[in-house]
Amino acid sequence: MIVAEHINKYYGKLHVLKDVSLTVARGEVVVIIGPSGSGKSTFLRCLNYLETIDDGYITMEGQPIGKKKLSDGRLVDDSRKNIYRLRSRIGMVFQRFNLFPHQTALQNVMEGPLTVTKIPVAEAKARSLALLAKVGLADKADAYPVQLSGGQQQRVAIARALAMQPQVMLFDEPTSALDPELVGEVLEVIKDLAREGMTMVVVTHEMGFAREVADRVIFMNDGCILEEARPQEIFTNPAHPRTKEFLSKIL
Amino acid sequence: MRIGPIDVEFLLAIMPILLKGALMTIELTVLAIFFGTIIGLFVALMKISRFKLLTVFGGIYTWVIRGIPLLVQLFILYYGLAQYFDIQLSPKAAAVLGLSICGGAYIAEIFRAGIQSIDKGQMEAALSLGMSYTQAMRRVILPQAYRRLLPPMGNEFIALMKDTSLVSVITMVELMRSGILLNSTYIRSMEIYLTVGIIYLIMTTFFIYIINLIEKRLSISDAS
Repeated sequence: MIVAEHINKYYGKLHVLKDVSLTVARGEVVVIIGPSGSGKSTFLRCLNYLETIDDGYITMEGQPIGKKKLSDGRLVDDSRKNIYRLRSRIGMVFQRFNLFPHQTALQNVMEGPLTVTKIPVAEAKARSLALLAKVGLADKADAYPVQLSGGQQQRVAIARALAMQPQVMLFDEPTSALDPELVGEVLEVIKDLAREGMTMVVVTHEMGFAREVADRVIFMNDGCILEEARPQEIFTNPAHPRTKEFLSKIL
Repeated sequence: MRIGPIDVEFLLAIMPILLKGALMTIELTVLAIFFGTIIGLFVALMKISRFKLLTVFGGIYTWVIRGIPLLVQLFILYYGLAQYFDIQLSPKAAAVLGLSICGGAYIAEIFRAGIQSIDKGQMEAALSLGMSYTQAMRRVILPQAYRRLLPPMGNEFIALMKDTSLVSVITMVELMRSGILLNSTYIRSMEIYLTVGIIYLIMTTFFIYIINLIEKRLSISDAS
């Protein structure tokens, strides 16, 4: 589904992603863990090209994301239009929700289908109301983001991403900005999606969640993927000493 | 008839001329706000653009226009262009042009600050839905920015209204010039200029009132 090959990225002289490669299969749930500053969020944001990359090649179902390969093998920036189109097929949920504060929950969810896919209003509304019901917020359709709790806002944000009917969902620490008692309701929604077979890449610090829903856990450290394994293996018997050290601190 | 030191009959006699001038002041203000806002939006978008050339152009525009007194700009437009390029603008054209160009530079800075005050996550969220930069600006960033823009814009509009008095020097007959012309006939500076001042005050007060009204209406629909 998504193939990222030898991704390299620099912030000035700082080498933040060092030759990172990852393949995500259709229906797979990949969870990326690692200490802060390890490049896991940056890598996730490269997958829909919110972050540009300096070297490497990313494709979704064979279509290049951000940079395309010329026949002589050189990589050049893809057209903006192609990038926009690909992003519309990749849902993204942010740590800080990023709901549009001037719109109600319903308007937030409808925004993508109306502005990007330009479907009729009635259809967008029906789809959005169904999605709000799915995340348990049917009664909050007319509420503005400021009137919602963090957990509710994040669930609206998930519904907003789903409204574009994406083929992949990217979650960038979706529960890190939440009060502890609100984490559960958001994780439940994400678990439901996993059960429905949505392809997902999740950056998180919630190890219990990783253990439960991940098909594969990736451990990133200092811009590299150090280890990837099934959750049972990585949590019970990590291969790399750095993984062991990290998990012993966090579990 | 006199009320204390005030000669009411004289005031009533000059009032029609002053009110006619005031009407022109309002017209100039509205035109300058209209064109200035359009210029301001475009210059602001240039200044935050990813194209270096546009950024530089926008920067030079605000730097030059805000750094030269409006009075000097008006002289260049009205007298300067006539000397060099044989372009004789009418006083009104020069007035509207000068006020719009000048207002545009200040309004551009207000727009730029407003747009950049919106959290970066908003643009990212819009882009992640597949929106183009333009769609994200129009649907997400600008609707949030313009609520924050209103108070500084109100200030700018009032400043612009008062600045219209400067175009009196390029023979544009508005409120200030009407006063000057009346005074050259009657030589009653205090009564005439005090009246002119009070008419400006009434107009700016009314303006502030309208802006407050709009602000209140917006904050209701904002729900925040």
